[in-house]
Amino acid sequence: MQILIRITLMAWRYRTRLTLAYLTFFCAVGISLLIPYLFGTSIDRLVSVGDDGITGKDVSRSTLVLLATAILVASLVRGFFDFARTYTVDSLSQIVSYDFRNQLYDKLQHLSFAYHDKEHTGNLMSKATADVEAVRRFVNMGLVRSLEVVLRIIAITAILVVIDWKLALISLAFVPFLVFRTTLVMGRLRAMWTRVQEVMGETVTVLQENLVGIHVVKAFGSEEFEKKKFAERAQQLRGEYFQSEKLQGTNSAWMTFYFTLALALILWVGGRGVIQGDLTPGQLTMFILYLNQLTFPIRMSAFIINSFSRAISSGKRLFDVLDARSPVEERPQAEDLGRAMGRVSFEDLSFAYEARLPALKHVDIEAEPGQITAILGAPGSGKTTVVNLLPRFYDVTDGRVAIDGRDIREFTLASLRRNVGIVQQDVFLFGGNIRDNIAYGSVDSSLEDVVAAAKVAQLHDHIMSLPDGYDTIVGERGTTLSGGQRQRLSIARTILINPPILILDDSTSSVDVETERQIHQAMTGVMRGRTTFVIAHRLSTVQDADLIVVLQDGEVAQRGTHTELMIEGGMYRDIYELQLRPQEELLLDAAIASDDGGHA
Amino acid sequence: MRAGGPGGGFGGMMGGMRGLQAGGIHSPNMDNLTDENVVGKVYDHNVVVRLATYIMPYKRDVLISVAAVLLYTVGNVSIPLLMMLGINWAINDGEMWRLHVIGATFVGVTFMHFLSNYIQMVYMPKVGQGVLYSLRTAMFNHLQTLSPSFFHRTPVGRIMSRSQSDVLQLQETFELIVQSFSDILSLVGIIAMMLFIDVRLALISMSIVPVLFFVLGYWQKFARHSFMRIRRAIAMVNGEYNQNITGVRVVESLNRQDLNLKHFESLNKEHLDANLEASRFSGGLQPMVEILIGIGMGFGVVLVGGIMAQSGSLEWGVLVAFALWIQRFFEPVRHLTMQYSQLQRAMAAGVRIFEVLDLKPDVIDEEDAQEMPPVKGHIKFEDVSFHYVPDVDVLKEINLDIKPGENVAVVGSTGAGKTTLVTLIHRFADVTQGRITVDGYDIRQVNRQSMVRQMSMVLQEPYLFSGTITDNIRYSAEDATEEEVIAAGKAVGAHEFIMGLDNGYDTILAERGVNLSVGQRQLLSFARAIVGNPRIIILDEATANIDTQTELLIQDALKRILKGRTSIVIAHRLSTIRNADKIIVLDHGRVAEVGNHNELLKSGGVYARLHAVNYGISQRGLTSSGDGLVPAPASDD
Repeated sequence: MQILIRITLMAWRYRTRLTLAYLTFFCAVGISLLIPYLFGTSIDRLVSVGDDGITGKDVSRSTLVLLATAILVASLVRGFFDFARTYTVDSLSQIVSYDFRNQLYDKLQHLSFAYHDKEHTGNLMSKATADVEAVRRFVNMGLVRSLEVVLRIIAITAILVVIDWKLALISLAFVPFLVFRTTLVMGRLRAMWTRVQEVMGETVTVLQENLVGIHVVKAFGSEEFEKKKFAERAQQLRGEYFQSEKLQGTNSAWMTFYFTLALALILWVGGRGVIQGDLTPGQLTMFILYLNQLTFPIRMSAFIINSFSRAISSGKRLFDVLDARSPVEERPQAEDLGRAMGRVSFEDLSFAYEARLPALKHVDIEAEPGQITAILGAPGSGKTTVVNLLPRFYDVTDGRVAIDGRDIREFTLASLRRNVGIVQQDVFLFGGNIRDNIAYGSVDSSLEDVVAAAKVAQLHDHIMSLPDGYDTIVGERGTTLSGGQRQRLSIARTILINPPILILDDSTSSVDVETERQIHQAMTGVMRGRTTFVIAHRLSTVQDADLIVVLQDGEVAQRGTHTELMIEGGMYRDIYELQLRPQEELLLDAAIASDDGGHA
Repeated sequence: MRAGGPGGGFGGMMGGMRGLQAGGIHSPNMDNLTDENVVGKVYDHNVVVRLATYIMPYKRDVLISVAAVLLYTVGNVSIPLLMMLGINWAINDGEMWRLHVIGATFVGVTFMHFLSNYIQMVYMPKVGQGVLYSLRTAMFNHLQTLSPSFFHRTPVGRIMSRSQSDVLQLQETFELIVQSFSDILSLVGIIAMMLFIDVRLALISMSIVPVLFFVLGYWQKFARHSFMRIRRAIAMVNGEYNQNITGVRVVESLNRQDLNLKHFESLNKEHLDANLEASRFSGGLQPMVEILIGIGMGFGVVLVGGIMAQSGSLEWGVLVAFALWIQRFFEPVRHLTMQYSQLQRAMAAGVRIFEVLDLKPDVIDEEDAQEMPPVKGHIKFEDVSFHYVPDVDVLKEINLDIKPGENVAVVGSTGAGKTTLVTLIHRFADVTQGRITVDGYDIRQVNRQSMVRQMSMVLQEPYLFSGTITDNIRYSAEDATEEEVIAAGKAVGAHEFIMGLDNGYDTILAERGVNLSVGQRQLLSFARAIVGNPRIIILDEATANIDTQTELLIQDALKRILKGRTSIVIAHRLSTIRNADKIIVLDHGRVAEVGNHNELLKSGGVYARLHAVNYGISQRGLTSSGDGLVPAPASDD
């Protein structure tokens, strides 16, 4: 109920339109009620019940013309109000769904990474499509039309009672049944829709994962397994859908039944009344036509009930997102950071992902402006977690991160993130051309700036080799870029933003040697003059670093320069011996071999 | 700008597809899907015939539905008739017993009406959902037979929209056809009844119908235009929304929110405007019908009917019945108008679905394909050539003999055909010349499934499915025991980090495993590759994306894992290459050299040159500090 009220409040923002919708439909209903009356009056003018049964009456032609014109005019006016009502209600529902979409879109792009880690894209997609549509239908059908049904039943009851209260009681005896069924079915349907939606979500997930991971499916020959997995979900979906459709359908059958039975009773009992002279033929006609006017609203009521049920389950799914509190929130008095000097300190920092073991424990790292800090450690040791805390993708659980000596939570998110550039490992390309993708974070850069950035990132030559150069379309429907090229594009993006602080996720260790060389040059270019945190695996990067931090199980195991750590021994030297040195030796080996090759 | 399907593009999910690079398998002989046509014919014979094959299994239920619809329509049309009879035959003549007869009949008809309605409401969705289920699974199953190259070329979003919203649309066709059938029947019944009761009054009351058809015809044209505008708009809205979710991490880190919202709002506004335009027109249809009913009732029934009643040629019961019929007449008309455009959409959806179902799989098992006996691991390429486009050979006359248990490295520059070479063994595509044998069996003559289940592949990008870690490791061998899963986890060095997670092996992975690091995902994909104890392992640049610590961990493990198995590794890492029993050097689709590291270096061929160029440059990059702007490397010990 609360959910329906909230949706209504969203619609209430357009109260003029909503009021207009109610007004026009009041008028439309009112006028439509005139027509059976006029028709019944015509019949009474034409025939009357006398002692010798029903006989025709003399009626002037002008009276008939008058009545016919009255019916026509009433229909015209009703048509006009109907149009006004349909349009206002339709447009209102469209505007409300427009608002919902905008809010959803904006909310999602402000929720922190922790939220997106948990939510499936397919699920968020279906919220924006199916759930918004369900809410739209509720505004259209539930909010206005449900009143129409109720109002029409009340008005017609009143009229019929005035004409003949006994007959009215008989013909409207179905109303309590209707109300009873409605409440009964509504609850069950709601539960069913929620189920359908859940199963639907699972089915879509299986399909989507199968398609995206089809090469894995093929590689392991798991087609049969996948087929079974999908068929199970599809079968379940079929059952759930069938149940809810059946309930909805049979419910509407019941409604029509009550109502048709009422028509039969009217003819039967009302006919007796006419024969006995208690009722005029015109009154019987009115009864019949008034009841007939209920046909459509009653059939509609099945849909209306459905729209209520769906709106409750869909509305909940939407408000779940809209109400989600981002763990990372800007303080009300947050200040603009401006351009930072670039001194960064992680102070006694601890962090735990939701309900998990702490990922970081009492980490202290200091970086002076322009310094390079290399972070090493086994997977899961917390390397990525540390750097994700700096632009506040997540918030620390304990301790603080400070830039130029001030807690980063004192700044606005936008100004903070403007100061922290990130070269990501998995680079996302947006549909559009290369130029726009490079300028994604700094839209007003000139083409010259973009080209300059691409040159530093060692991407310019490749771009120029493409048929449309910087206008080449990339993304889903465009040219594919290789992993290394995408990474360099990310570097170019960052260069253009020109942040004083930089995070480099450099876990991609080997693509091919030429690419690696280019990436290394690009990285050297982008690190220049910036406080840099690099998750490093290249010997060169590690050796270049002013400070090396070795993480182990979320704690700083060792810190120092390459030389210091080599002397100190321990984990860093192990890594060096096991991995960095072999890298170096291999390269030397390669160099010697190439000399051999030259001689041969 | 990207336009996703109606269900929204799921395009961002394409990320995982990047595992197969552009140099991977491509087969242009399989035509791409046509563009999404929005509106089709109202009746497409092919679609209906094809759809019929899916409806056939529910023949009995269909017959029941149709019979129920028939009865229901009869009830609908006869209610005014009963009213008329009751008034004219019973009430007018003051005969109470006749009224009882009619009344009882009416109640009887009501029950029949209800029963047929009820049955229809049960059997229609039964058939509809059954057809939907069959179509969904048929589509899914068919997609499983297509080769990876198809998915490489076709955005996932498009296939998703075809198998989701198009299937839904097509399923509606059935209900639409039955509904239209019922509507047409109602129309015919009502017209026949009216004509039967009184020709003149019928003709006069319906004289307005041509006007209606004229209006509907005009409306139809508009509806089509308007519908297409809405559909284009919603595709843009959903595409942008989808992209923003998939790229949300970039959006947030680059502060694009305000700009993106502005862009989204403009797309959303266009969608709103398109809908408002449609509302203005479709809202006009209802009053039109009301006015026509008014004319029919006012001038037709009241005036003309009244005059006729006065002259005694008509009884008033007829007037009541006509009033009811006229009101019932317009509803099926309005339905049919709506169904017209829905049918067009459904037919277009049908065309798109059957287009997918008609895609010819390019790798199919021969009819007499035998089961592959337990694999020993002897792989032979005999004069193998392969091309995607005729005359552009990707692989040329490849001859290889890989002995059981041999550890082979494939090297070569980008575009040399490495990925193609190794994926041919898994029959991602079939050779165009020559043959590949495993243990002497031509791989095209054995059941692909039975062979592939005994081999393993680790792709560049570790792709994980939703579910628990155990589910994922077990993916290549569903019947693996818990112990085997744990053993695999231990063998690749993943056990420790798995146990560090909240629920250990039962931890549920987020979408694509994003709650794990890339390295951890890679480790899981290794565990997955070995749990079934395959005799052949193929690693496609599997070392990429792994941080060096992790790589170190698994390199050691891999040595053990690869022992006793035939393995083919595409690698750029010297350590991997150097340890291989055999190095195959590919150059422009040909085997340039075969031998081990030392042999090849000594022979001074392509390998030695590649080596010199690549690692020479790389070393300069590492030690010379580029342009001298980076601090000089700290001195070694």
